[in-house]
Formats: sequence, C-alpha cells, structure tokens
Amino acid sequence: MREITLSQAVNEAIAEEMRRDPTVFLMGEDVAEAGTPFKVLSGLVEEFGTQRVIDTPISEPGFMGLAVGAAMTGARPIVDLMFGDFIFLVMDQLCNQAAKIHYMSGGKLSVPLVLRTNMGATRRSAAQHSQSLQALVAHIPGLKVAMPSSAYEAKGLMKTAIRDNNPVVIFEDKLMYQDKAPVPEEEYLIPFGVANIKREGKDITLIATSSMVQVAEKAAELLAAEGISAEVIDPRTIVPLDEATLIESVRKTSRAIVIDEGHQSYGITAEIASRLNEKAFYHLDAPVLRMGAMDVPVPFSPALEDITVPTPEGVAANARRLCAGEMIHAA
Amino acid sequence: MPRNDGPHDVTMPQLGMAQDAGKIVAWLKAAGDPVAKGDALFEVETDKATMEVEAQASGYLTGITAAEGEDVPVGAVIARISDNAEDDTPAPSPAPQAKAAPAPSDKAADDGQDLPEGTPITMPQLGMAQDTGLLVSWQKALGDAVAADDVLFEVETDKSTMEVPAGHDGYLAATLAEAGDEVPVGASVAIISKDKPDAPVARSAKATPPETVQTPETPAATPPERAKERPAAAPPPTAGGRILASPKARRVAMERGLDLQRLVSEGYPQPFHMADLDTLAALPVKAPAGAVANAAAASIRLTAEIATDGFAAFAAWAAAAHGLTDADALLAGLAGASLDAAAVVEITRHGQTRRFAVPAGRSLAAIIRTEDSPDLILRDLRGTALRSVVMGAEDAPVLTLMPAAAGLGITLECSADQIAGPDAITLISAFAGRMEQPLRHLL
Repeated sequence: MREITLSQAVNEAIAEEMRRDPTVFLMGEDVAEAGTPFKVLSGLVEEFGTQRVIDTPISEPGFMGLAVGAAMTGARPIVDLMFGDFIFLVMDQLCNQAAKIHYMSGGKLSVPLVLRTNMGATRRSAAQHSQSLQALVAHIPGLKVAMPSSAYEAKGLMKTAIRDNNPVVIFEDKLMYQDKAPVPEEEYLIPFGVANIKREGKDITLIATSSMVQVAEKAAELLAAEGISAEVIDPRTIVPLDEATLIESVRKTSRAIVIDEGHQSYGITAEIASRLNEKAFYHLDAPVLRMGAMDVPVPFSPALEDITVPTPEGVAANARRLCAGEMIHAA
Repeated sequence: MPRNDGPHDVTMPQLGMAQDAGKIVAWLKAAGDPVAKGDALFEVETDKATMEVEAQASGYLTGITAAEGEDVPVGAVIARISDNAEDDTPAPSPAPQAKAAPAPSDKAADDGQDLPEGTPITMPQLGMAQDTGLLVSWQKALGDAVAADDVLFEVETDKSTMEVPAGHDGYLAATLAEAGDEVPVGASVAIISKDKPDAPVARSAKATPPETVQTPETPAATPPERAKERPAAAPPPTAGGRILASPKARRVAMERGLDLQRLVSEGYPQPFHMADLDTLAALPVKAPAGAVANAAAASIRLTAEIATDGFAAFAAWAAAAHGLTDADALLAGLAGASLDAAAVVEITRHGQTRRFAVPAGRSLAAIIRTEDSPDLILRDLRGTALRSVVMGAEDAPVLTLMPAAAGLGITLECSADQIAGPDAITLISAFAGRMEQPLRHLL
C-alpha cells in the first residue's frame, strides 16, 4: 500500500469531501494562499477557488461564529484553527452555541461543523502554542472529539467528521504532519466510537491517544523484550468513547495505563481511568495509572520541554512496576 | 375558587422579584375575542422588561377592567376568560388585591373556623418557571404585629431560599400554610389584619382535602417503607486489620475459597496480587479440628485419583458445540449418570448450593434446576488447597472434588445404608472415569 504523510491524508480527505459535497467549505487564517503554516491545505484553493477556501482575518471568534451560522443554515464548514491553543478564543461560539443549538432548538437545527486544530508539545513553540486542550471540549456535551494517531486515522476520521451532522473537533498532533503511514487509495471512513487495538497483549493495557499511541507502541516493544506483553489501544475518538473495548481489554490484562498529552490533572486520562475503575474494578490487579503532560505551562527550553511529556521509557517503567505488583503510592 | 368551571380570572403576574405592579402596555386581544390557552393576551411593562402574558385558559376575553397604560398591582384581576363572549360581568376592580387571592374563605369550611378579616399574603413567584414554593419557616408568630418591611416567611424554590417581606402593616391574623408545605404560586399563605386579631387561625396548606386532616395515620405509613430500603449493615472488616490486596486478587480468592489471611500469617508481604494466590493455594493444609471425630460416622469412605481433570475442556466443548453453557449442570449430569438412575444432584461450592434434576440416561441437555432434596451431593473443593477430607456422611452420599498431585482427587463418603459397599465402588469408579474422559460418557 502507498504511504503518505498525515498532512497529505488530511488534505485528501478534505478535497474528496469538497468534491463530493458542494456545501463543504473551508475557512480560517492562512488556509488559502499559504495553505496553513503546516502546509496541510496546500493546493485546495487552486482546485476549489476562494469562494470555498476562505482566508479570514485574524479573528477567531468572528469566523468561528460565522461558521456556526453557516452550519445552522445548511452549509458544512470546516474551520481551521491554526493552533489548538487558540481554542480559548472560540469557546463561546463552540461550547455555548455550536454544542447546544441542536438541543435547544428541539432538534430543528443542526450544526454540521468541523473544527480542525492541533495539539502537541516538543516543537519548541513555547507555552501558548504547545498545549493539548482536548479535555476542555470533551467536557462539553454536544461536541464530538477525534484524535487521529496516524495518517490512516487522520483521513478516515476527517471524512466521517465532515459527514457528521454534529460539531466535531479534530485535534491533530502538529509533530506528526510529516509522519507517513499506509493509506489506501480507495475511499474509506472510520466510524466514531470504535477503538483500534494496535497491538494485542495479555499483561497490561496501554490506552493512548494521538501521538501517545506511538509512545505506547514503543513502550510495548521495550516491555516485550523483558517478557511483559502489553496491549496497545487507540480509542480514536474521545467522544464518543468505545468504553466496551477498553473494559474488555482490562478484564483480560488486569492492569492499565492511560496516556494522553493533555495535562495530567482533570484530563482525558482521568476520565478513562475513572471509567475503568467504575466498570472493571473487580478485574484490576493494580491501580490504573494516568500519564499526561506535567501540570506546568509547556516550557520553551528544549531540555525542560522534553521531560514534561510522557516518553516510551517512562511508560515502560510504570508498566514494569504495575506488573511486578509494586505498591503504587499516589503522587 | 373560580378555577374549576365558569370564568377564569386574568391577573397581573409577578414578573420580577421586586415587582409589585405592572403597566399594561397593550391588550393583544379585544373584549369578546376567542382566546386559546397559551395565546398572548396582553403586554406588561415592568421596571426591567416588557413581556407578553399568555392566557391560562381557553374561552372568550370578557370583563376587562384595566385599560392600556394603567399600572395594576400584582395579583389584581384585570379581566376574565369566560365560556361565552357575551358575559359582561366586570372583573373585580383592580385595586384591592384581596379578591385576587385564592379565596381563603373556601378553606374556612374545613375546620368550621372563620378566617379573620385582612389582606391575604400570597406565595410569590420568584423564578420564571416556578410553580410552587416551599415554605421553609415563619419569621413572625401568629398574632404578632408586623411592619410592611418585616420578613414574614422564608421560601425555598428550586433555585434559592429567599426571605419574603410582609408588604403590609398590621397583625399576622392567620397562617394558611405550615413550615414544610409546598404552596402553589399565588395561593394565600397568610392574612394580615389591621387590628389585633381576637382568634388567630393557623392552618396547613396540605389540609385542603378534609380527609387528610382527619386521618393522622396516613403519614405514618412512610417510615416502615424507608426502613425496608435501608441496606443491611456492611460486614465489619477482617478482624486484626485490613488486608491489602488488589480488587481482582480479593475477588478470585473469594471465588476459589482461598483465605488471604493465611498469606498474612505466613508472613508474605502485602499488597497481594494475583500471583500471590498461587503461593496461597500451595500452602500446606492444616486439617480442621474435629474432622476425625466426624469420620467415625462415615461407614464408607473411598478415594480415587485421576491423572487429568478433563472436565474443563469438556465443558468448553459442550458450551461451544451444543450451547450447554451451565458447567454445573454438566457436572451434575456426570455425577448423576454414575448412579445409573434418575437423581437429584446438589453441587456445593464456597457455601453456595445448586441442585439439578438429572434424568436417567445420558442426555446432558435434559438436566434442569430443582429444589428437591438431593440423592447425591457433589462438594467441589478444586479451587482450594485441601488435599484430603474426612467429613463424614450427610443426608446423601457426598462426592468431594479436590486437586491432587497429578490431576483430580475424588472422595466418596456415605453410610452403608445409603449405598452398599460394592455400589459405592462402582459409583466412584464410574464418576472418576467420566471426570477423566468426559466424552466417554456420551459413548
């Protein structure tokens, strides 16, 4: 199978859906002429023109509001938010408007909108351009949240998101845009709420999102060399969450570590760990561990930044302790 | 109250917390117009906003007494919704609020006591979607002098608890609701009289249907029901302190009849995990005291040992190939068939028992649950560390399953009058053979 970058996969998904459905359009800062700072959208304005690939002023609340209105009146906008950190600027449009309109209109209005943005540290972008803020939106009922872990997922989830009649937020890891993965030429969609078991194992379950899936897979390699068999699961969408697959895995392995690049406190990892605790308690032979970014603003110093996020070695070390039956004390 | 049939009073609603009057901006229906419940009837301006007020009943708008532009006290009747357009009885004058309040005199009949003269005080509407208010407490005693600004009572809504001022100077001549009563918005809760009342009246808002007043035993029905719902007290934690073990280790230990306390006694470090259960299962057994004494009662005790326990694989096959998913039913079938007659087999494990009726023959699909007394007891100790039992006979012959060095140990205990010696040997041999190679049972 051919291999393409995550960036190309997103570009293909959007182009295919724009060809298929004339109501799909794209807007955001630098999406047309520049193709975004990450060059993800290069070439789209040439094919679809400036009516459907729209450069906006630097005005996130403004164009997010426009998109909500456009979606309510029948269009299917894809909003490009240049950095995930800017999501704070569009919180009202996203969380108070887009997420609630279908409910508050008694189902008469829908907001088929995709907000594609990014996450991920270690790009030396400092504290305001390096956050992973998926937990903020996952908390709001009415929003779906997808976190692709490779080019394959990025394409399939984006196409599903565009066709979904609800607002969907997609967080792409900005460090993975140039990562290649096998992506079929033929069309495919990845349904929401279906986790992907990336690697089967029997001793411990590593549940990881986005780029943390790669971290978990590398940790599983390290552990395999020591005779510890780790299962790696990528939920692919945080909302809806494929709880059943996660619980089934933990019932088998009796141990779990949940890894997400958002800050560790009050995050995605806490939510998943809590559900495992509630629904698989009597199958747990060790406490469920969370691993997220340190609870500090992401440092600009490369030496410091690199130690704030989970690493394969860190995950493997924790897995080793759980499998050895060590007493785990709360930090 | 004139709510049941006949004309429906249209009153000035309370749209704000501190609002005591509203200005009629416009009538949206003319006198004689048909109105449906929910139709916008008139527009009101308060200090905060202008709002449309909906009709609360269907009929014809009649008897309008408040003109556009007029300020009307909250609660005052300003029109009626009547059954016919020609009803020209004017609504009572807007000025006195007394008439607007649900007539307290209706309730006077309940206790035969007349209510004192005075101004009724009503349950205010404190929120947009509030239908009732919970009267939390009275802040004035019956008969007390009150000033308009004095706090008269406290109300709790779904949103907050608020103090409600009396609004009128005078005396608290009657309380028509008790602390704890849910009172509909607009219903009278008190009467404030100008003069000190001779005989102040106290009533409950719940008292409206007279029967409930006369039957004090009605509320007594509740407490026993509550008591029933209360869960039984949790068993006290293990004596000598809590054992630290993972939830799974704890659960599996219980299922296998293993006592984690033994690991503690042997000095193994906590917390215990699944791996420790293997250690626990391998600990040497101390024979239970008194077992020897009971043994005397067993006139027959036979033991057999087989190299492999074939039952688990057989149960898996029967479930997959024939949908026979109850492994206990299969186990009962193998034991019952060894008796060579229809029998009730009881399986006992961790103090729990299940009984199965096993028909004569070899059909494992025809085994059903039963409550009849058993012909044969099968005591499953395979999950334990026990290697030998001398428990004595019970009401029926007892087959005990235990782990053995190689595979499975089986002991049969019975009295000679239950099974004769040669038959006992046949029974345990046949059963041991079936447990070793269950498929032979089907041949």
